[in-house]
Amino acid sequence: MNFSVEELMNESVPTEMTTFDPNFPYEVIEPCTFDNHHSVQIVVHSIICILGFVGNSLVIVTYAFYKRTKSMTDVYLLNVAVADLLFVLALPLIVYNELSSWSMGRVACKLLRGSYSVNLYSGMLLLACISTDRYIAIVQARRSFRLRSLSYSRVICVIVWVFAILVSIPTFCFYEWYEPSHSNEYYMFGDEDIDMDEPSQYVCEFKFPSSEMAQKGKVAVPSTQLAVGFFLPLLVMIFCYTAIIVTLLKAKNFQRHKAVRVVLAVVVVFIACHLPYNLVLLYDTVTMFEHFECEDLKMVQTVMMVMQSIAYLHCCLNPVLYAFVGVKFRNHFRRICQDLWCLGKRYIAPRRFSRVTSEFYVSTIRRSVDVSSENGSSFTM
Amino acid sequence: MVSIKVTVMAITLVTLCLLDTNHAVNHKCCPRYMTVKIPFSAIKGYSVQTVREMCPFDAIIFHTKKGKACTDPALDWVMDYVERIKTRAQKVHETSQHLTRPHKGR
Repeated sequence: MNFSVEELMNESVPTEMTTFDPNFPYEVIEPCTFDNHHSVQIVVHSIICILGFVGNSLVIVTYAFYKRTKSMTDVYLLNVAVADLLFVLALPLIVYNELSSWSMGRVACKLLRGSYSVNLYSGMLLLACISTDRYIAIVQARRSFRLRSLSYSRVICVIVWVFAILVSIPTFCFYEWYEPSHSNEYYMFGDEDIDMDEPSQYVCEFKFPSSEMAQKGKVAVPSTQLAVGFFLPLLVMIFCYTAIIVTLLKAKNFQRHKAVRVVLAVVVVFIACHLPYNLVLLYDTVTMFEHFECEDLKMVQTVMMVMQSIAYLHCCLNPVLYAFVGVKFRNHFRRICQDLWCLGKRYIAPRRFSRVTSEFYVSTIRRSVDVSSENGSSFTM
Repeated sequence: MVSIKVTVMAITLVTLCLLDTNHAVNHKCCPRYMTVKIPFSAIKGYSVQTVREMCPFDAIIFHTKKGKACTDPALDWVMDYVERIKTRAQKVHETSQHLTRPHKGR
């Protein structure tokens, strides 16, 4: 009898015995907790926000008050500045929400993710438009008169924005504000150390109605971003600027070396800012559904964050690379500084500067600027 | 003028963000599945990770004494455990209903 019970126990036990052994040696694969780099992220993003805000506002202010958009490039530059400014304005709100478990709610989630996407696409595509415009102006100079009209560029800008909005529709639709299901605990046995009173933690992430859609959508959205938001503009820029450099090197212009340098700077900065991030994004998209060790995931995540910040930095550099590099634009900007200085003086010593004189002063400046910049394209360096 | 406004904005922004870092949360997804079976007695509950949301694949996360454990919902034992937990939950539900019914009747 005894023997048979022993036997029985040994037979059926392997799992049952271990069940009662709390020291059963099994390795628990836990959900991956990412390291917090929040403070670094906040500092870096704040710097990007401030620089981007100042730079792009200055470009917009310059165009709004001094340099009415005259050439095709002007229209593009203004639109790039608007896209970058909107991007930079959305960025702190996104960071704030990510840190506060999306306290601003569903509408903010949709709008911020959507506008982020729209500005990303429009910004990148407009840079491609600028390179095409310069290509037509320099390489296809004979056709340039016909192809580079103001109304033409406005139509193209409208097309770019509409396209950017259309491409962002999936982002707008499938980003949702919700509590992830895996943070809901379904049933707890016993009553020891239950940590049920965690605060509700909302996210603003993808949410699809079905698994099949999720499998497709999670690949399709970043793939579109890679293709339309990076590789397409990259190819257009490489083609256009290579042709421009070749043409410039053939030309007998004393300023050509400076022009070549500026073109190279534009391309190199674009690649340096966006290529690393997009390569990580590509890797992430390709290995989207694969299983990893937590350590590897953490590393990819950290690398992605750093590269993303570098990519964001580009919108601070655009005003310098595109607008302030132009001699005429700098002249306009100098006028603004002078006027602001005068305005400041007026506020400090109101009696010495009457309103009439300062307005007269501004208007004369405007007139003189208009005359000086009557002829010529913005591609003056 | 502009720079003052910008500086004020920036400082507000940074303070706002720093104040809120305490609430910063991580939404953890399973990196992969466990390869060994967990004893049922070690399990206190479970939650569901779904590919339809932010995570890359479906998983059943068992809450064990040793922490949360990521398991493959395609495995029989995993779904068996889930059923067992559900049954227990159902029993608790029924008994509590039984107890509260006369109370509700009044």
